[in-house]
Amino acid sequence: MSQLSENVLKETTVYLGPASKKFLERQTQAHLNSLQFDNLEKQHIDELAKWVGISAGLLIGKDKAEDLVKKIKLL
Amino acid sequence: MVSARHSLQTKLTASFVILILLISGLTFFYTYGATKSALKESVQDELSQVAGIMATQVNGDTVIILKPGEENTTHFIAIRDQLVAMRANSNEITNAYIMKDTGNGIVFVVDDIYGTDPDAAHIGESYTTGETSTIFEAMKSPVASKDFYTDKWGTFMSGYAPIRNSAGETVAVLGVDMTADKVIAKQDFIGYTIYLIMGLSALIAGLIIFYFSRTMIRDIRKLNNTAEKISMGDMTAMVDVQRDDEIGELANSFSRMVTSLKILMSDDENKP
Repeated sequence: MSQLSENVLKETTVYLGPASKKFLERQTQAHLNSLQFDNLEKQHIDELAKWVGISAGLLIGKDKAEDLVKKIKLL
Repeated sequence: MVSARHSLQTKLTASFVILILLISGLTFFYTYGATKSALKESVQDELSQVAGIMATQVNGDTVIILKPGEENTTHFIAIRDQLVAMRANSNEITNAYIMKDTGNGIVFVVDDIYGTDPDAAHIGESYTTGETSTIFEAMKSPVASKDFYTDKWGTFMSGYAPIRNSAGETVAVLGVDMTADKVIAKQDFIGYTIYLIMGLSALIAGLIIFYFSRTMIRDIRKLNNTAEKISMGDMTAMVDVQRDDEIGELANSFSRMVTSLKILMSDDENKP
């Protein structure tokens, strides 16, 4: 797993818990051209953050999801 | 829904109120006892000082020549009026009188209520109560009763001081009385004031605890309701608790757990 993937996973786990990896894999595969989450690179961050914001908003609410998006964008 | 009797809020509020009442009660008894004792000492000081000041104003040479049956002489009336005038300067003093030791015991010489009260003591009327030992003590220097005492005129606390003649010898003792009612009224006032302050403090503390426990319990109930909904299959339920304390941490952990559960469940649903 790339360092960036680890960092994204770490931030996301704070909000979504132990199933975060499954969640992130689903986002990259569905919206980032079937990209493996472990191979995440800097150029994917903005697109990933966008879809995390949308999907996580449905799970944890818009405010918390926006916090998470900001943190991902800073990585 | 937990009944009010078993609610954490009821238990917390009741526990704190009981604790406050217990501490207040113990403080009350200690403070009241200490205040009562201090008040008594202050009254004793005041009485012995008043007696001491009044005694220096009385002419001992005149006091010593008064004999039984001389209540209508100008000397007697002058000293009695002097006692009445001095007593009038203090709201606390109810009686002022002069006594002397005849060698056979203590007798009255001048009673300030003579002529106005049929119960007034005559010259030479003996005085025998437990207070006589204090009066003998007053032959040397001003003193006050150790405690309340009762005689045929009522229950008092008194101050006594020596009256000296022109040669500086003690010839009599001047006594001043304060009724027990006045001292007890002062003690009661202090007691009621302390009681009132502590009662109000317990009430205010109880209300504050009730308010804080209510906000705490409200958020625990929210968490409980969310858990209840999810356990019954409602996966749209969300944790809506925003706090910075331990309950807030619990809510965040619970929220993560629920979110993961939703992700895993939706993942299973999407599998062929």
